[in-house]
Amino acid sequence: MRQPPHTTSVPATLGVAGTWRRGPLGTIWRHRWPLLFVSPFFILFAVFALYPIFFSLYLSFHEWRGVGVMRPVGFANYTRLFGDRIFWGSMLNAVLLFFIYVPLMTFLAVVIATVLHGSFLKLQGMWRAIIFMPHLTSMVAAGFTFRLILDTHSGFANQALAALGISPVPWLDDMWWARISVGLLMIWAWLGYNTIIMLAGLQTIPIEVNEAASVDGANRVQVFFRITVPLLKPVILFAVTLSIIGTFQLFTEPYILTGGGPIRATETPVMQIFSSTFANLRFGYAAAMSYVYFITIIVLAIVQFKLVTRGDR
Amino acid sequence: MTSIAARLLLTSLLLVFGALSLAQTPADALVPNPDLHASLEIWSWEGATGALQAADAEFAEYYPNIQITYVNRPTGDNYQQIQLGAVAGGGLPDVANIENSHLRQFVELGILYDMTERLEPYVPLMNAFKWREAEMDGRYYAMPNDSGPVALFYRRDVFEQAGVDPESIQTWADYYEAALTIKAETGLPMWQQATARNNARLFEILMWQRGAGYIDADGNVILDRDERILEILEFMGRFWQEGLAVDAEEWTDSWYRNFDEPAVASHPGAVWMGTFFKAWIAPDSAGQWGVVRLPAWEPGGSQASNDGGSSLVIFEQSTQKEAAWAYVEFHLGRTASQLDMFIASDIFPSLETVYADPYFAEPDPYYGGDMVRELFTQIVQEIPEAGIYNVDYQEMNGLMAEQIQRFAIGQISASEALAAAAREIRSRTGRR
Repeated sequence: MRQPPHTTSVPATLGVAGTWRRGPLGTIWRHRWPLLFVSPFFILFAVFALYPIFFSLYLSFHEWRGVGVMRPVGFANYTRLFGDRIFWGSMLNAVLLFFIYVPLMTFLAVVIATVLHGSFLKLQGMWRAIIFMPHLTSMVAAGFTFRLILDTHSGFANQALAALGISPVPWLDDMWWARISVGLLMIWAWLGYNTIIMLAGLQTIPIEVNEAASVDGANRVQVFFRITVPLLKPVILFAVTLSIIGTFQLFTEPYILTGGGPIRATETPVMQIFSSTFANLRFGYAAAMSYVYFITIIVLAIVQFKLVTRGDR
Repeated sequence: MTSIAARLLLTSLLLVFGALSLAQTPADALVPNPDLHASLEIWSWEGATGALQAADAEFAEYYPNIQITYVNRPTGDNYQQIQLGAVAGGGLPDVANIENSHLRQFVELGILYDMTERLEPYVPLMNAFKWREAEMDGRYYAMPNDSGPVALFYRRDVFEQAGVDPESIQTWADYYEAALTIKAETGLPMWQQATARNNARLFEILMWQRGAGYIDADGNVILDRDERILEILEFMGRFWQEGLAVDAEEWTDSWYRNFDEPAVASHPGAVWMGTFFKAWIAPDSAGQWGVVRLPAWEPGGSQASNDGGSSLVIFEQSTQKEAAWAYVEFHLGRTASQLDMFIASDIFPSLETVYADPYFAEPDPYYGGDMVRELFTQIVQEIPEAGIYNVDYQEMNGLMAEQIQRFAIGQISASEALAAAAREIRSRTGRR
């Protein structure tokens, strides 16, 4: 009879060396090969995720310019942060941006996904590829292109509006229009991504439900609002949660399109963290910012989750 | 053999002494040194690299075994890369070109090579105001590259059409009157100043002209304490309020086009605008632009200011400091190199020994034969000391620009803008 290998007891002949092989270290030793093979992930995770997380927490209680000595300052960074008009302004910008583009984008994603899911559409693969394509485009290139299109004086957008007899819109030169412009870029870039998520969700809804509704006399719009959307709710919730995180993490889009202006109207928290670190060399303060911002995102995600799932009990 | 050797020795001695007798700077007496072997990396940006390269062919004759590689990036990207390299303790080049506006931050970080002993002979030979950011506690960490003397660029065609004589504009009050006339006669605004996308650069130029700034010599914030600064911002405000300014963001297509069309009558700007005018903003407008001194704030007051300008630094991390210094000194300390760079690019030398060259006494055809080069050599030596470029410049500029934007679109008054900017700067930088 053979014993299963992982329960093999250590032969007594190993003597002193055998004693530690019976403890938790022994377990590790016995699984050394599988552990070795999964170790790259954990090593990389520790170096590039765990270490920065703890180091930035440590950093947030210090004053440091990136070079030289770190000076411990206790909670000073955090107390100063609570009175920082510009940081809270950037958080408010993220909230405003969220309401400018996420509801519209999510709604469009569900509608387009429903259309793409329908059996009446030909060349489905092509349409799906087209709608997803912007997401694959370099955001820097897209941002520059949008900047050219939206230029108040020479942009294509205003030329097109002029042809329709509409006076030029200060797309990037007005606080609210600039936020809307960033929202437009976001929708352009992320609509396809959200559509794919919704499509995946639609495929989990049994076709019989829709058929039953049609048999009962519901038209397409009714089926959409009464059947599709409620059944898709967990997927929509997932997509919106991703959008919350994505909006607060916004950086490249406004950085390229508006530079955070005008008058900081499109400056996001990550842009603030970035400029505090690299323009102003306040590493500790920026670390404190990222912690406050991280906790805010978690709280918002939980609140949103509770609000949406409240009626489900 | 001996006679040939002796003759060679004699010739080289003659060459050395010949060079020495003409030498105005230590670098003017340099002799070729093929023993220095190195491969240097230099970080800069496109326009500035073009100027440095104008001296590279001769550099290669003097130092045949030093290879040079330039890395061009937008300046902001360079500064981030330098900060990353400083934090990481590696990855920095040997030499970098840094704008004086951003230089002080790197000096105080302690990542630059202390060049005091090498630079001391050059201190009296270069524009005095350029050392302000390079020197800390009596030690020198950067060598001035170019200066940004400011003057008033004006469109001859527009001024003529309006019947305004640019020489008659002696004070900013005269300038405002001329703006009204030009607006009435030609319909054109006097200058380009963005409102919601203002970058505070003109505001800084005007502060610099008066020897004012964000801070005084002790580092205390004076934005809300100096009446002259309020006067400057209110003056700028009149141009927005009365339609005498074009609202165009700097360095955008509209901004360029307005200069060329022309959709604007004048531009208070630094000498290096010539580089851009000639190269691509308005190459076809040759002869249409003229240059006069800035108007004064009060009769007889200062008519000189500065905008921008850069310096070369060597990083402490570099393992080729000897060769790096050879590069820096040859390009910036040698009269002939600086002249080549200026001729090639309009990047204005900080090295004053160049100004005596006949080239500076010649008229500039682009400016309709105005003696622009000579004018700038006079202006550059009159630039007042001002508390604008300092260790916190980036932050101060950003905070001030935001308040100017609010003022420009009419959200707040000039004094509220200055008070708000001063308050923010104090709370963020811990200054008084």
